[in-house]
Amino acid sequence: MYTFGRKWRKLAPYGFLLPALLIYLLFAFGPSMFTIVYSFTDISGVSGVGWHWIGLDNYQELFHSARTPVYVASAKRTVVFSLSVTLLQTAIGLLLAIVINSKLRGHLFYRSLVFMPVVLGVTVFGLIWTLMFNPMDGPMQKLWGLFGSSSTFLGSYTMAFPIVIFVQIWGAMGYTTVIFLAGLQTIPGELYEAGYMDGARSWSSFIHITWPMLAPTVTVNVLLAIIGSLQTFDIVFVLTGGHFNTSILGYEVYRSAFGGNAGNLRQGFASSVAVLQFGIVLVAAVIAQFYLRRREVQI
Amino acid sequence: MKAHLVPRPLGYLIMLLMVAMYLYPLLYLFNVSLKPDTEFALDPVGWVRHIQFANYAAAWQQGSFGTYIWNSLLYTAAAVAGSVLISAMAAFPVSRGYVRWSGLVYIFFMMGIFLPNNMIPQWNLIHALGLYNTRTGFILVNMGVGLGFMLMTGYMKSIPRELDEAASMDGCTYSRFVLTLMLPLIKPVLATSAILQAIGVWNNIIGANIYFSDQRLFPVVMGLYKFYGQFGNQWTLLAAALVIVASPLIVLYLFLQRYIIEGAMTGAVKS
Repeated sequence: MYTFGRKWRKLAPYGFLLPALLIYLLFAFGPSMFTIVYSFTDISGVSGVGWHWIGLDNYQELFHSARTPVYVASAKRTVVFSLSVTLLQTAIGLLLAIVINSKLRGHLFYRSLVFMPVVLGVTVFGLIWTLMFNPMDGPMQKLWGLFGSSSTFLGSYTMAFPIVIFVQIWGAMGYTTVIFLAGLQTIPGELYEAGYMDGARSWSSFIHITWPMLAPTVTVNVLLAIIGSLQTFDIVFVLTGGHFNTSILGYEVYRSAFGGNAGNLRQGFASSVAVLQFGIVLVAAVIAQFYLRRREVQI
Repeated sequence: MKAHLVPRPLGYLIMLLMVAMYLYPLLYLFNVSLKPDTEFALDPVGWVRHIQFANYAAAWQQGSFGTYIWNSLLYTAAAVAGSVLISAMAAFPVSRGYVRWSGLVYIFFMMGIFLPNNMIPQWNLIHALGLYNTRTGFILVNMGVGLGFMLMTGYMKSIPRELDEAASMDGCTYSRFVLTLMLPLIKPVLATSAILQAIGVWNNIIGANIYFSDQRLFPVVMGLYKFYGQFGNQWTLLAAALVIVASPLIVLYLFLQRYIIEGAMTGAVKS
């Protein structure tokens, strides 16, 4: 019930909603929709150059042209990136959260430390890792040396992409861990005590109590990780600039739209890549949502 | 007696590994930032022997951080203040159902997380408005309504409605209620949203790349690229520059970590 007056006074809440709605419509939602419109044009992004409707030409180039293998490779890489990030981040994040939640000495310090990269941001922690992976006798090179091996790391076609995945997980782990911690703290301690009475020890109490009770938190974390990792590309921008087989779709969008000199900017085409990326996000989110919710219901 | 999911010794072992993986890179960063170039070239990994702060002075100079830091502070403060204020103003009526179709409005705002990448039309819009290469333009595109709005809506639901009723009985108007009573009550979530937003704006390297060509308007992250890329890497200066860029965030984090972490936790559970 609204109690702040009648008639025109009832409009006050709408007035308060308006600024956020306008900013969102103008700078976020509207442009998102226009990306789809742009994908049917040959807009270049160079001022003063005209543009035309070109129907599905961009999509034809994407799916059926000599360049197709490049984009398919990039799309595959995006899926590999997203799957590895989602699985590892969720699994390791859960493990860390469980350990931190068991109130070891210094648990608040551990929590703060693992969350630190989230605060530093991707540019800073990305560059810290380029320092770590400095091929000229950097720390990771020394570590590799212990195993009698060496690598050019971010300058290597085989190593660069796994490193990008690793650094992405390292950086975002804190968020997953903290969300799991929040979920763990909602599980009543009595459940574990009752379980203990019934003979449940660590593994079985995890399987029968923690895992089912945590189902909604798992859903949140997995969805956030899937959607986030399918869209992000800052990490690629910072670590490799898309070289050495590390380009994922988000980065392709950036590269075609803004990455070159004025002569080869292709914002219309870049938009069609963005739409393809959106399609993948949508399919992944729907599938994940379906399985995760079904699991929640079964439990 | 409570059963531990992970036996204590194993727990400590896992934490030891985690601490090594998260602390070492930071320590290494400080270490390199204090090394003279010659020492770094001979021994990039060992502890610094001749501590000196010359790298900081040089990085500050070459990275133009004297200018960039102020730019970043301005962009971050303005974008965060703007987006926190408009998000809070919008979150209240939505959380209370004081506007029609509140549920739909909420979903509409949240859809932003899924929708296609919007940076290309957004960039053209800024151009069309004549805001390319301007502070205003960069601030506007950084004023997102998303995560903060979601956290606030969740938090406001936990504040009893009776408060609205009591205040309105006493003749308090809607706007006064929101601005003078509600905002102070949701301080923790305002702090959390502000910090999470600030981290994003401070680190927005892609945005800075596409919205500025005028070097005088660059934010601080752009300064990092003077030491990295094109002409080979100046590692010791890069390390010092990274410490410079990260330190405001680290200071903020040391003082406000409770807000940041617990805010992120409650937000996740409530939504």
